[in-house]
Amino acid sequence: MIWQQLANGIAIGAVYALISLGLTMVYGILRILHVAHAGIYTLGAYVGLFAFRMIDHFWLSLAAGMIGAGIAGYLVQRVLYMPLLHLPRIAPLIVSIGLFTAMEEAFRLIAGPHTLVYNARIGLSKISFGSFQLTETQVLILLVSTAALIFLWVFLTRTRMGLAMRACAMDAEIASTFGVNVGAVIAVNFIIGSFMAGAAGVLIGVYDNQVWPTMGSIPAYKALAIVVLGGLGSIPGTVLASLTVGLAETFFIGVLAVPFPRDAVAFIAMILVLMFKPHGLLGKA
Amino acid sequence: MSAYSITILITVAIYILLAHSLNIITGRAGQISLGHAAFFGIGAYTAGMLYTKLGLPFWIDVPLAALSAGLIGAILGIPCLRVRDDFLAITTMGINFVVEAVFLYIPFFGGAMGIGGINLPGWFGREMTKTEFLFVILGVIILIYALDFRVSRSWIGLAWDSIREDETAAEAMGVDVVRFKVIAFILGSALAGLAGGFYAHFLTFIMPQNFGFGQSIVILSMVVFGGIGTRWGPLVGAVILGLLPEISRPIMEYRTLLYGVLLLLLMRFQPSGLIGSGSIFLRMLKHAVKAPKPAGRHGDSS
Amino acid sequence: MNNMLNNRMFIMGLALFVFFMGVPAGAQEIIKIGFFAPITGPAAADGASAKHAVELGVKEVNDTGGIKGKKVELIIYDDRLKAEEAVAIANKLIEKDKVVGVVSGSYSGPTRVAAPIFQKAGMPMVAGYAVHPDVTWDSNTKKPNDFIFRNGFLGEVEGAAAAQFAIKDLKAKKVAIIAMDNDFGRSISAGFAARAEKLGASVLTKEMYKFPGEKDFRPYLTRIKGTNCDLIFAAGYYNEAASIVRQAKELEIKAQILGEEGFDSPKFIEIAGDASEGVIIATNLDRDDPRPVVQNFLKGYKAAYKEDADMVGASSYDAFMILADAIKKAGTDPRAIQKALLETKDYNGLTGKISRFVEGEVVKPVQIQIVKGGKFVRKAVVDDPEIITPPKK
Repeated sequence: MIWQQLANGIAIGAVYALISLGLTMVYGILRILHVAHAGIYTLGAYVGLFAFRMIDHFWLSLAAGMIGAGIAGYLVQRVLYMPLLHLPRIAPLIVSIGLFTAMEEAFRLIAGPHTLVYNARIGLSKISFGSFQLTETQVLILLVSTAALIFLWVFLTRTRMGLAMRACAMDAEIASTFGVNVGAVIAVNFIIGSFMAGAAGVLIGVYDNQVWPTMGSIPAYKALAIVVLGGLGSIPGTVLASLTVGLAETFFIGVLAVPFPRDAVAFIAMILVLMFKPHGLLGKA
Repeated sequence: MSAYSITILITVAIYILLAHSLNIITGRAGQISLGHAAFFGIGAYTAGMLYTKLGLPFWIDVPLAALSAGLIGAILGIPCLRVRDDFLAITTMGINFVVEAVFLYIPFFGGAMGIGGINLPGWFGREMTKTEFLFVILGVIILIYALDFRVSRSWIGLAWDSIREDETAAEAMGVDVVRFKVIAFILGSALAGLAGGFYAHFLTFIMPQNFGFGQSIVILSMVVFGGIGTRWGPLVGAVILGLLPEISRPIMEYRTLLYGVLLLLLMRFQPSGLIGSGSIFLRMLKHAVKAPKPAGRHGDSS
Repeated sequence: MNNMLNNRMFIMGLALFVFFMGVPAGAQEIIKIGFFAPITGPAAADGASAKHAVELGVKEVNDTGGIKGKKVELIIYDDRLKAEEAVAIANKLIEKDKVVGVVSGSYSGPTRVAAPIFQKAGMPMVAGYAVHPDVTWDSNTKKPNDFIFRNGFLGEVEGAAAAQFAIKDLKAKKVAIIAMDNDFGRSISAGFAARAEKLGASVLTKEMYKFPGEKDFRPYLTRIKGTNCDLIFAAGYYNEAASIVRQAKELEIKAQILGEEGFDSPKFIEIAGDASEGVIIATNLDRDDPRPVVQNFLKGYKAAYKEDADMVGASSYDAFMILADAIKKAGTDPRAIQKALLETKDYNGLTGKISRFVEGEVVKPVQIQIVKGGKFVRKAVVDDPEIITPPKK
């Protein structure tokens, strides 16, 4: 049973990582509590689903979902966030909340209030060692989040754009005096972050076989909490925090049977960590 | 006026109290809170339980609601203020989820079934009418605004201003930053608790879901919509966003969409709020009145 | 910009004005019935089902000549699943719209807040599927809200019926419970556990999960698997239910899964796919019932909305039809309608024949359905009066 719970914890941790990675990138540079990231995530799921219905191919529908989310993310950044960057952070936060509410309602009005199914054949196989088993969709999520992580690492450490991005994350003003095109960096950063949100939406849609208008409402705050726990803007911190939260929730609920819902468990853990490390697990002061 | 209009005005009045209370923490002292509904809930539950379990009257249970919310605000606020900025925002959000879970999972608090049978307050040997209840809340709002005038001219007000503008500088100038932040947290929480007491007696039935993260967002939106840090902004925000769902009833399918879009557009084009600094709305108003009468202190929310 | 804002402010002011002045009462040639449901917000799917079904009912009544020649007009309000909105809606329906009766197509939160307002105003309300016991009961005076009626089962009744079937017919000895932590999940699982233990079964574990929000039931199910139970009673709405059933299959749990009316939607089968096969539920809708009221509704709903009806829709439709029937008998005076509702006897409802109302609670058989070949089909009916008669509060 412990092994199975470990598998459960890792699987949900991977789901969290997938949703949080894009958010942490965006935060790293813009320092915006981007609640509407969860709206982009839902958009990705819907675009992927409708693409899947048309072309009946899972991997292509995943790409479609990512592209749809990327475009939406770019527009949000360009039209809504850029003009507000010089303002106190509460202004973009409220814009983001308004946008998220509007997006959820728009999804309902366009795609209907009922849950849609995303019943795709993926073509992977499940993994099992005795009582430790991962299903096909869990394997898919682990694979994609690992791939995303490797891509991010290569991108940030081996490309010029990645280097510029890290420079901006440290200090955008100084970076711009060294000739970095900050606007372009922010745009690319936002697009990549939104790609990941879109991928997360599609994968969760397949994982739960459900796509519905308010599917982003839990990730909206859960991902924020994970990003904070990891140390805002730290990519390895986010992965560590995702797995920690996934495993902690699973063990508290499944093994210790604490009579609290998983959100409360996760947030108690987060508050405790922040009391001792006010900048998160891997955050810098 | 019909009971229907009174009902809506009571809801709006409660939201004015809430928006004002959050403005003390977020607007005045500059500490973003995403979990204000927790203290609203603590107040509502304190009042509801004292009323139904111990039979304490409204006039005692509502002040106690403010007291308990203030006390818990102090206990939670002190460690909270170790963290800054977005970390604080997310910590307060976490507190909101934990408080909601406590109401939901500890049977003592009524659990998922909530607490029912909380009546409108009584006076002169009978139950108050809804109109009278509205006037009681309006009286409290006026009292609080009167206090607000005094506080903002006092040391506390000045200290808050300095912390909001630049925490490090304030500290260097010898302002006891933590102390004044905690004062803001306690006052704001207590006032939210008071609003919770009114809410419980108005709704007659409360359940944990009424005090979740969504409610915190609603309150914060009102404060920012009207003009964060200004004196009248939260009131304006509470009135407009409080009435909006009612006014937009005829466009049923689109009313929540309208709410989101309006919030988005206003903050995009008027980020300091409807009556914050540099507001088009305010300029128009002045233009119309012709007299340069400032609406409260010109809050600069930076 | 200034001009635009000016215009916008004018419109806003106008809206405010209209809102405070109210709309003058219409002609008396129509009968106004109030209806509220979560049309927008997190429960919009159920709101849509309820609204669609009730609108179908209104059309049916009006197409067959209305009520005593008068057309029915449905006044629909969205409550967004918020309690404060329900207070405003209740007052508005009473004062502004001057309806003669109200149908709730919403959850317990809004319905429970609205109920005492209608009770005080002497306005009959029939709740479609809201489950909280205090909808029909005033916990202050310890008396029933005698203007409020409920078409759905009390959680205790449905849970007890499910237990009766599980222990007597399925011969379950060791049961596990997984339920959502809201009033619905709490009351239905309590009813199930009490009856199951009374019949000699042992309840090995009771897992409560948060609603809304939970999607990963594996930690709970893994624990349940460890208990080696022979039956799992699961309480939740269809999205959660489908996830539970799918994940139980992934974890190779062999125990029979027994659900309740929250599962009762074609969406459950669609989402859960193969995993739904063989799942048994206790509900109020029997799709194999040959009575025309059932078959006509199922066909009419599909024709009108291009999707199959669910329990929420059927229950809301019934609530409306029960009210319309009472108006047909008693006229438009609210007190007379209430009297007619109190005297309901052997009413031929879509979700079962209602023998009567006891303290506002419906008395009708509980349907046991099983998923076979991707469809809900009849398995059994629990009509033992000891079980289906609501307990005294």
